[in-house]
Amino acid sequence: MARFDFLRDPAWRRATLHDGFGRGFFGFLGAAALTGVVCWAVMGREVFVDALWGDVSLLTNVMPRVFIAISIAALVWFLIPRDRISALVGSESGMRGLIIATIAGTITPGGPASAYALLAVLAASGADRGALVAYITAWATLGLQRVLVWDVPFMGAEFAFLRILISLPLPVIAGLIARRLPMTLVVTETRS
Amino acid sequence: MSIGILSLLAVLAVLVGLALVRGLDFAPVVQRFIEQFAKLVPRMICALIAAGFIATLIPKQLIAGFLGADAGLIALPVAAATGLLVPAGPVIAFAIAAVFAKAGASTPALMTFITSWSLFAAHRVLIYELPLVGASFFRLRIASVILVPFLAGLLAMLVGLITTFGQAAP
Repeated sequence: MARFDFLRDPAWRRATLHDGFGRGFFGFLGAAALTGVVCWAVMGREVFVDALWGDVSLLTNVMPRVFIAISIAALVWFLIPRDRISALVGSESGMRGLIIATIAGTITPGGPASAYALLAVLAASGADRGALVAYITAWATLGLQRVLVWDVPFMGAEFAFLRILISLPLPVIAGLIARRLPMTLVVTETRS
Repeated sequence: MSIGILSLLAVLAVLVGLALVRGLDFAPVVQRFIEQFAKLVPRMICALIAAGFIATLIPKQLIAGFLGADAGLIALPVAAATGLLVPAGPVIAFAIAAVFAKAGASTPALMTFITSWSLFAAHRVLIYELPLVGASFFRLRIASVILVPFLAGLLAMLVGLITTFGQAAP
């Protein structure tokens, strides 16, 4: 059997197509159309065209990143020894696990595509819920790449520095809260 | 080429090298790439377009009036709610933050706004979190971090009592 036989498997092709263009997709498409119509009606044609051009340039900017980020995520999925992760940030990992997760979230490069893909790997490897929440909170609030690329030029270096300082304890606090919440966590089944 | 793309490419190069050294089979990697690509990209394109329109529609100047230093503690919930409303990436979110800063928003309000946006941005939840990790994680995370933007704002207020360091310079 050839290694790339899955490409010719009709069931796989249908499932993948369904993932991409299922009901969720049309919800998004509808939202895009609706907000476009509202924008045109409220703000006029010129603003609408400006916003649309802004969208197009944003897309051409973002797409290469998304392409790379998904490649990274796919490689990481098979490269990372998942059993070792659960030892690092598993339910027995205590405070150390939360701090490791916070550091990992802070240095994860790329946009949400790579961070959430890595989060899925962590969840599938049996990482503790506190560590999962700490990881993604750290990525969102502390992510170094975002601070350097966005905070510094838009808000100034002082503000960026203060924001890092203030955000340092937040992921650990969120992780501690997550561990104590009486909620059940069911991780989405991932194919393959 | 931006820093973002360069750092991503560097990580990718290291990983490909590692995979080659280990003799990893690339067929399942390609399969997973296609599956995730199909799951994310079509929705992402629509969501980005919608986000651009919504960001245009948000009444920025009106909101900025509630974020000044004289607004006190009221500024924090307003800033947190506005962060929730910006369903777009950093380009738009930081452009809005800069508008707020120029209109005289206080540092704690800006901290709360950026933290709230970074934690709750709806497009990210819809495009990535729900399909990749699932609704139960989303609920757990929201319950865990709901207070975090206020915490960031309060910490900034405490710092503001001691020093003026950290004011935004857009």
